[in-house]
Amino acid sequence: MAFSGAEFLREHLRARLTLAMLVVIPALFVLVSASVLGEFADALGGSVTGDSASALGAGWAAAFLAGALGFFQVSSSRDADRRLALAGMGAARVAVARIGASILLGLLITVVAFLTLWLTAGIAHPPHAFAAILIFALIYIGIGTVVGSFLSDPLEGSLTVAFIFLIDAFSGPGMSGSGGVAQLMPTRKAADVLIAAGAGQGSPASDWIAVGLTTLGALLLAAVAFWLSARPRSA
Amino acid sequence: MNGRASTATRMGFREQGRRPLLLVLLVAVPFLFISWSFAITEATPRLITLPGGEQLLTTMRDLHGAIMVPITVGFLAGLIGLFVVRSALESDRRLVLAGFSPGEAILPRLVVLVCATLVVLAASLAVTAIDFIPASWGPFVAGNLLAGLIYGAIGALAGALVGRLGGAYLMFFLPMMDIGVAQNPMFFDGEPQGWATVLPGYGPTRVIVDGAFSPQFQAGGELALSLAWTAALGVAVYLLLRRAVGALG
Repeated sequence: MAFSGAEFLREHLRARLTLAMLVVIPALFVLVSASVLGEFADALGGSVTGDSASALGAGWAAAFLAGALGFFQVSSSRDADRRLALAGMGAARVAVARIGASILLGLLITVVAFLTLWLTAGIAHPPHAFAAILIFALIYIGIGTVVGSFLSDPLEGSLTVAFIFLIDAFSGPGMSGSGGVAQLMPTRKAADVLIAAGAGQGSPASDWIAVGLTTLGALLLAAVAFWLSARPRSA
Repeated sequence: MNGRASTATRMGFREQGRRPLLLVLLVAVPFLFISWSFAITEATPRLITLPGGEQLLTTMRDLHGAIMVPITVGFLAGLIGLFVVRSALESDRRLVLAGFSPGEAILPRLVVLVCATLVVLAASLAVTAIDFIPASWGPFVAGNLLAGLIYGAIGALAGALVGRLGGAYLMFFLPMMDIGVAQNPMFFDGEPQGWATVLPGYGPTRVIVDGAFSPQFQAGGELALSLAWTAALGVAVYLLLRRAVGALG
């Protein structure tokens, strides 16, 4: 199983340009957005400012790259995964290996976003900030894979992922949303934790339980999506 | 356009028409983002600098609504360019093998890309008009069209050079950072900083800001710069695709 996950990871690492983008884009996003997110939140009537706004940018960078990654993991590998499952690996092992590779790539994005944030803006509560950024990435790996299991067309799929991300981001805490539908957004609690970490504060246990459950739910959905796309069809 | 190129163009449109969700998204994304930007932004005062140096007091709400148009058009056109070219690279070599010239295979893809950009532009402008009337429609429309064409071409180049996943990463990021942050008069001192002038979104965004807030056209240099970017990128896309579909073993 570990071997299969490593093979899937190697498949990504072989595409040097794609890998370079996984490193460069989150770093640039955090760097550029750090100086303006506070002003943006202020224009939307939000309350997030300073280091908390910069920290939120790192979560967003991890989220949108992980969403695209999750989508393309499913949509571009469907046929190959089905053949692997038929050849004896089994749909469940394929799904677990794909999830493992996605989590490792999500971790890479998180490390880059976290380090850029730390070096440029400083982080008052590093462990909480790291965990929250990783949670953003994992939730969006789940969202991307679920979208990929329903939509195979890359343009429709990537637009759908972007659509979900932008609604989620702009209605999040510290931006425009505070009640109603905004409470149901997938990274709502992760954003609360990240904003608090940016301001040097811890978060209540209820927030951690909520983000833990959301992350588990997202990864479970991703595993089901991978399993469904890899399982052999009856003729 | 000869018979073979028109048939390929018709097939290109039919290919897009088979994806009804795509059409819905091309209209729904501009509708949601632009109308939402107007709805959620506070009408706080904001001093901006127009092309030509004149300073003008407007509101964050109007600025956000106006600037969301090129962000949306650039973002959508970029993704369309990316995937239209990926599709071309996968199948148009076969057309060339079957007797099409590279130009006859490429032209229909570019027509589809420009038409999709026009659909997105029309939807975006229609939504904008509900909440905001630019001081001068001509430059506002021209700037947005140029932003769409520039980012459509960048998406096409990304599709050919960095592949599907790398291209998607790039097109998620680049229009947001260029038009949404670097050129956005909501940030910094109300005009782009020096480093932002080398980015492709500089010219179109300045033309748009001029059209949105000034009845007199003062962005001639920025318009010329935008046209130069569009022409250079258009030629680059054509040559790259010509080489890609014509390079047969």
